[in-house]
Amino acid sequence: MTLIGFLILFPLVAAALLAVVRGNGARKGIVYVSAAIIAVASIAFAVTYLGSSHQLFVFSSSIVDTICTVIGVVIAVIILGFAVKYKNVLAGALALIQVIGSLAFELGMAHHIEVSAGFVVDPLIILMALIIGIIGSGICVYALGYMEDFQHHEPEGAKDRRPYFFALMFIFLSAMYLIVCSNNMLWMFTGWEITTVCSFLLIGFTKTEEAINNSFRQIIMNLLGGIGFLGGLYFTAANFNTLSFDTFLAFGEANPALVAAPAICLAFAGLTKAAQMPFHTWLLGAMVAPTPTSALLHSSTMVKAGVFLLVKLAPIFAVCMPASTMVILVGGFTFLFCSLMAISQTNAKRVLAYSTIANLGLITACAGVGTAEAIWAAMFLILFHAAAKSLLFLCVGTAEHHIGSRDIESMDLLFERMPKLARFMMLGIMCMFIAPLGMLMAKWGALVSFTETGNIILLIILAFGSAATFMFWAKWIGKLAGIAGTVENVEVTVHKSEWIALTLMASLIFICCVLMPLISEFIMEPYIASVLNIAQGQALSDDNMAIAAILTVLVFVVLIAGPGRSKARKVDVYLAGVSVDNAKREYTNSLSGVNTASARNWYLDGWFGEAKLNTFSTIFCTVLIIASFLLAAIASMGM
Amino acid sequence: MISSLLVNVIGIVVFAIVAPVLGCLLGGLDRVISARMQGRVGPPILQPYYDVRKLLAKDNVSTNGAESIYVTTALVFAIVAGGIFYSGGNILLSIFLVTMGALFFIIAAYSSRSPYAEIGANREIMQVMAYEPMVLILAVGFFMASGTFNVGDLFSIDCPIICKAWIIFIGLLFILTIKLRKSPFDISMSHHAHQEIVRGMTTEMSGPTLAKVEVMHWVENVLFLGWVGMFFIWSNPLSIVLAIAVAFLAFFLEILIDNNFARVKWQAMLKSAWIVALVTGVVNIALLMFM
Repeated sequence: MTLIGFLILFPLVAAALLAVVRGNGARKGIVYVSAAIIAVASIAFAVTYLGSSHQLFVFSSSIVDTICTVIGVVIAVIILGFAVKYKNVLAGALALIQVIGSLAFELGMAHHIEVSAGFVVDPLIILMALIIGIIGSGICVYALGYMEDFQHHEPEGAKDRRPYFFALMFIFLSAMYLIVCSNNMLWMFTGWEITTVCSFLLIGFTKTEEAINNSFRQIIMNLLGGIGFLGGLYFTAANFNTLSFDTFLAFGEANPALVAAPAICLAFAGLTKAAQMPFHTWLLGAMVAPTPTSALLHSSTMVKAGVFLLVKLAPIFAVCMPASTMVILVGGFTFLFCSLMAISQTNAKRVLAYSTIANLGLITACAGVGTAEAIWAAMFLILFHAAAKSLLFLCVGTAEHHIGSRDIESMDLLFERMPKLARFMMLGIMCMFIAPLGMLMAKWGALVSFTETGNIILLIILAFGSAATFMFWAKWIGKLAGIAGTVENVEVTVHKSEWIALTLMASLIFICCVLMPLISEFIMEPYIASVLNIAQGQALSDDNMAIAAILTVLVFVVLIAGPGRSKARKVDVYLAGVSVDNAKREYTNSLSGVNTASARNWYLDGWFGEAKLNTFSTIFCTVLIIASFLLAAIASMGM
Repeated sequence: MISSLLVNVIGIVVFAIVAPVLGCLLGGLDRVISARMQGRVGPPILQPYYDVRKLLAKDNVSTNGAESIYVTTALVFAIVAGGIFYSGGNILLSIFLVTMGALFFIIAAYSSRSPYAEIGANREIMQVMAYEPMVLILAVGFFMASGTFNVGDLFSIDCPIICKAWIIFIGLLFILTIKLRKSPFDISMSHHAHQEIVRGMTTEMSGPTLAKVEVMHWVENVLFLGWVGMFFIWSNPLSIVLAIAVAFLAFFLEILIDNNFARVKWQAMLKSAWIVALVTGVVNIALLMFM
């Protein structure tokens, strides 16, 4: 209990300190120390509660309730301020609707509803706490070096806004802890809204026109989701007279007819936050922010809050057809369409963004299926995605500062220009899409669960989506792997804090891949046992996970230590003439002139381009959501 | 009871010895049959073995130090995948590991930074993307028809999976052409010199490295023909004979196709492979679910 309080409040203290400290050295100290404390505290939290499958903490406080109400108003004021300044009517209107709605709800309806158990701990929450505490704070450490370079690239005399930036990052962590640990849905809602507004401010950080536009796109979509959340709270209070998530789940499972309205509203909120189609554009736009922000939004916070809520709702989806149909189909088709569109992207950050949205889609679909194996797969997807995607974003960020581009084609020869970084990046990519490393093992679990439930649509989607996934990752990893033997190493100037964070993420991937059977036994299985009352929830056998763990070690050895030790005699590459320069691929042609050979990866814009797929898929998923709401309305009326 | 893990490990060791021999003989057979189809006598059946022995004796020459390590890793993954399959292990694990082998081979081609190899690698990625949906659907059909993902459990079912998954079997035969690197789908690297720009993925590979590529190709062929044979296995031990016969028949069919078609463009391959996967997959899975 004290630990929960500490995890929520300590990042706020760090944020307050960072907001006022202006010296670079002091900031470094504070970030290093607080990141370490948060990481250690979340490990302590995990160790303390690992044995308990589900534990509620009796804690209610009218002071906390009031603080939450005040925070809600402050958030609305911030958004309104920005909306007035940049003349965005829609964002202002939505913020007004939300604040009036939530005030009316909190002061009127929710006033008499007492939630005795304010906080809750279960293995899913432990998993999330570890992800936020270790990966989230690791990203904050990385930001130290990155933001130094960032400030360096700013025009002369530009204001140093780093205190503001770091304060926001730490508030974000605090809000995430509030979301995952709260059993009181009003408190959870407050955390939800804080993450929304923090990411709004972080996306708009650079204040360029593009950044402002994209930040408003984010806030509009997430305010819609917030209003959905509020609707969920309203129906929960009206139908079940409670605001305890735990009680809501129990009542909901017992009363399928009553649960349709709140479930679909909450699911809608989860879909917007998890950037599912048609709301995927806010996450694509978020990449204008400094890279640590992207890493934070994509890996350990924000979008993970969305899928966390959906996975938590999984037992409800088992009894509530309209909500589960919406979640399964929107998630599944988002996975398919975004995987296909990722093929056509040359911008590394955009590929990462599409891949995030696609994987969140898969997690969403698993949550909608809701069987033991599906939840098992969803939890592993959350874990591996957090580790691999943060590593990849941080790698791309560092590469961008050193080679001056985030285009995948410019990463040619990165294996020599930035040897360590390229290996980390290859590792992160492999972890995203291929066995025996993490994500594919989790996808394997998803495939098993879809097969066992006989969900033909998801099976076909998974088959084709995975093929597309192979395409866009394999050609990227190939581009990194090229070796010419004469290129200068440019990674000596990478900041130490960046190496610390990168090494941390790579080690996490290694540890999680190798310890997969143990993680399954101590986190996934107890959680599944507690929510579904099933003793055996593991999707893959221990033997198969053991084989994968052994082969993972092989892959790591080959990637980290392998290349470069061969005794082979070196020769020039064959270029239809005598080679002049291997790195530039120049050769002497038959007329003694110099020709340059060039090769580009395939992006197949005419087949899988955004222009070809985006409009159709957006409309398709919008129709799916609207149809599901109509279904839910009919189901609620017919009760 | 011996743990299944131990069985898998023994299987991998045995497969590592037996599969190259079988694959080599299959390769020789392929060349003899192809020659007869073209009205030639053809080489001795051990010719692939002589080729590889000669490659191994050549100087170790390369454009970089990484290529041969990647190719070795690819070979290891192909052997592990095959060993797991033939020791009755999990079919999905086998499928995923053989894909990992394919990836390391692709990385090896890229690492040379030859424009020709890069084009080959891009085409190989396209081939993987073309056959992968069908391969996953194969695993799904396997489970729905037999109730298990373990190949070893096939020996305890009453009716071979071909009875329930014959539509998926046709789909498998279609993509088998890609997996065995036969025309018209041998677009990343072709045995037919007349339709190749330089040598695709293996442009810069030579000597011992190229020998490993050949061995990997043998091993993979043995594994993929196993996918064909497994459709005809049930509790009767004699079904193994039937499975081997069908696998040979499929191999002959692939040689026939190889000798009668010119290489197509990747667009035709992707479209046809995906349409076949979609149609056979949807129809067969739907039949298995609702019947």
